[in-house]
Amino acid sequence: MKTNKSVFYTIFSQKETGAALPLIILLLVVLVVNPTFYSSSNIFDILRTAAFSFIVAVPITFLMSCGGIDLSLGAVISIGGVICGKLLKAGVPLIVAILITLACGFIIGTLNGLAIVKFMLPGFMATLAMQYVVNGINNVWTGGINISHFEDSFKAIAQTRIGGIIPISVIYALIFGFIGYLILNHCKIGRKVLAVGGNCEAAYLAGIDVTKTQILVYALTSMIATFVGILYASRLGTVQTSIGNGSELTIIAAVIVGGTSMFGGSGTILGSAIGCILLAGINNALIMIGVSAYWQSLIFGIILIIALFIDRYRQKMLN
Amino acid sequence: MSDMILEVKDVTKKFPGVVALDHISLSLKKGEVMAVCGENGAGKSTLMKILSGSYTEKEYEGDVFFNGQKTHFQSVRDAKALGIEMVYQELNMVLTASVAENMFLDDLPSKGPLVQWKSLYKKTEELLVSMGMEEVRPDQIAGRLNSGQLQLISIMRGISHNPKLIVFDEPTSSLTDAETKVLFREINRMKEQGTSVLFISHKLDEVFTIADRVTVMRDGAFISTDNIKDIDEDTLIERMVGRKIENQYPKTKSIIGDEVLRVEHLTVPHPSIKGKNIVDDVSFSLRKGEILGIGGLVGAGRSETLGGVFGQYTKNVNKRVYIDGQEVSIKSPKEAKSHGISFVTEERRLTGFIPNFNINYNLSLCWMDKLLPTLFINRLKEKQLTGAIFNRLGVKAPSINTMVTNLSGGNQQKVVLGKWLIGDTKILFIDEPTKGIDVQSKTEIYKLLCELTAQGVGIVMVSSDMPELINMSDRCIVLSEGRITGEFLHDEVTQESIMRAAISEEK
Repeated sequence: MKTNKSVFYTIFSQKETGAALPLIILLLVVLVVNPTFYSSSNIFDILRTAAFSFIVAVPITFLMSCGGIDLSLGAVISIGGVICGKLLKAGVPLIVAILITLACGFIIGTLNGLAIVKFMLPGFMATLAMQYVVNGINNVWTGGINISHFEDSFKAIAQTRIGGIIPISVIYALIFGFIGYLILNHCKIGRKVLAVGGNCEAAYLAGIDVTKTQILVYALTSMIATFVGILYASRLGTVQTSIGNGSELTIIAAVIVGGTSMFGGSGTILGSAIGCILLAGINNALIMIGVSAYWQSLIFGIILIIALFIDRYRQKMLN
Repeated sequence: MSDMILEVKDVTKKFPGVVALDHISLSLKKGEVMAVCGENGAGKSTLMKILSGSYTEKEYEGDVFFNGQKTHFQSVRDAKALGIEMVYQELNMVLTASVAENMFLDDLPSKGPLVQWKSLYKKTEELLVSMGMEEVRPDQIAGRLNSGQLQLISIMRGISHNPKLIVFDEPTSSLTDAETKVLFREINRMKEQGTSVLFISHKLDEVFTIADRVTVMRDGAFISTDNIKDIDEDTLIERMVGRKIENQYPKTKSIIGDEVLRVEHLTVPHPSIKGKNIVDDVSFSLRKGEILGIGGLVGAGRSETLGGVFGQYTKNVNKRVYIDGQEVSIKSPKEAKSHGISFVTEERRLTGFIPNFNINYNLSLCWMDKLLPTLFINRLKEKQLTGAIFNRLGVKAPSINTMVTNLSGGNQQKVVLGKWLIGDTKILFIDEPTKGIDVQSKTEIYKLLCELTAQGVGIVMVSSDMPELINMSDRCIVLSEGRITGEFLHDEVTQESIMRAAISEEK
């Protein structure tokens, strides 16, 4: 009995349980209903979808750990593809185009950070405003018309498959995840991010440069979002001008379900990975099980609520 | 039955680990003004909360009789229904609503669901005029007024209900002299109408002006009640502070060296009152191995003095700071830290520790950059550093990985002090070093402070705990209204002299 309880306790004391448990249940249900879900091509399909979300989820995990939020990310993903595509069409070499795009992302994020940290605007609204601004620029610039016909070298960025099987985006995600994990858990800057999110005033009085830390996290988050925009464009071979729009809330949901605190001070990269896989997995599994597309949103929402309940229960148990 | 409006009989209120009120009894006649005096933490506010119904009758021991009837308050509303009104020191106003709405917050004149705005504004206007506040319009947003005006409005709100008993908690702390006169005129008017008044105040000249009788409380206990004619200021101060001093201060005579810190003309603007300074032209110096105590009442600008020097506050702060004789510029805590200044704040929960960190992480936070210079945190070295401090402080916890929120107040205090000691601190600012912690931890903290001075660290210690201030300080300055009103050496300081300086208006 005693060991039972301690195993139970160990499981529920992990931040990632809120996302891991529904994922395991999902995997088991699909195993019974439709084992073809487990074909390697389908698994890699899910992982590739999850990878795109996860690459943005890594910086979002940092952002939420230090008490921030960013609703402009979907728009920034979209414009990332647009900037890169437009530059390529103008004859700019690929590597330069990518670097300029990333720099633009960094600037957008810095503006977000300045508005929120220096000028004390409420983050929720300031980044929502940024979403409109970025979308507006996108619309005016492109007229909503997709950009296509790119060189193969551009398409190779996201379309390559290692050994013909593993999508390269999954490798990118692993690299981002690994670096994010190291920084958050083993570097001073990660510790500072968590301190700022846990108690901003105390961190400031401990001599931590709170402003710089927060602005840097905002800037890097947007920069990585533009990179994901480039990945989408490369994978599709076309810049869809609204490819990222609206995706920010889904990714934020994945991060929170994964066990990162909504209020700052604690975060888990592994949890965010599980959260992203769960979200990508649900959609895929529902199709494989044969649930009508009309039901998917409903079921998706219910599973989210369950994941949040598990997390709430977990925290109650720990206190 | 009697001419007593209020009788408090043998009331005791306990909080975990603290007896806030210890068998308090007092009685108040109809139409009488009674002042209640005592130091910070004497139990005045707790007593008030019992009278106001903030604590229900189940939450304390003893009885309260009002108008000869035993009270059974379940809420503030019950107390109001009997005719007891409170005017609090902290402003409780809806700053985004109009003056009129604030004035009649709990009973807006209405017809069905609709507010009768005309009659509301008219009533408010009359009240404003009666208080000599013609410059305020009833429809003005409360947040636009200064804190003196707000305080007058909350006073008026209490008066407008025609209470049988009205309690004022430090009502004049944000009032000007003219506004105070208006308040006293109103109190005298109410008195004539038979209303009784409890007047809680630190300002003894006001007490002698307005009160009929005065009650002194100390450490939650009743000390005395006298007719105001039968008592003088000296006796009153003596009673407010005269407690037995236990020998829990292991103060050792340390060798006092050269000046390590000099602060000149420090001015910090008041956070809420425009045009007023919470710290007003304060200068002091600190020597190696010295403990400089800063005494004074809450709101005198003591914490802000430390924060102003440390770079916690920067906006419109003026100061000149010299460390080891060299002028330095400190615009942020980071810069203060780089000059060897550490700051243990008063509110450890709000500004001291990171709640989601364990002891280890909290201890290494301040000096991480300097002591762990590698890109990746060297966990072994980190544990060595924090472990040494953890053991030296004698933190009582299962392990260094225990979450700091699971510790007792005393052990949390050791951690927030320890996080600074891990690096090289030359000057330590410490604000209320033993607030809300047990006696044993207190003595351990004192020992630690003495160890530090023996190593040559200069300490500036703000304290409201009189015995602590007197016993631990080599030298002691007292602030009142943001200015230094007294300076004493260890041998010449007494509780009476500190209290006298703390309540003096100007010098």
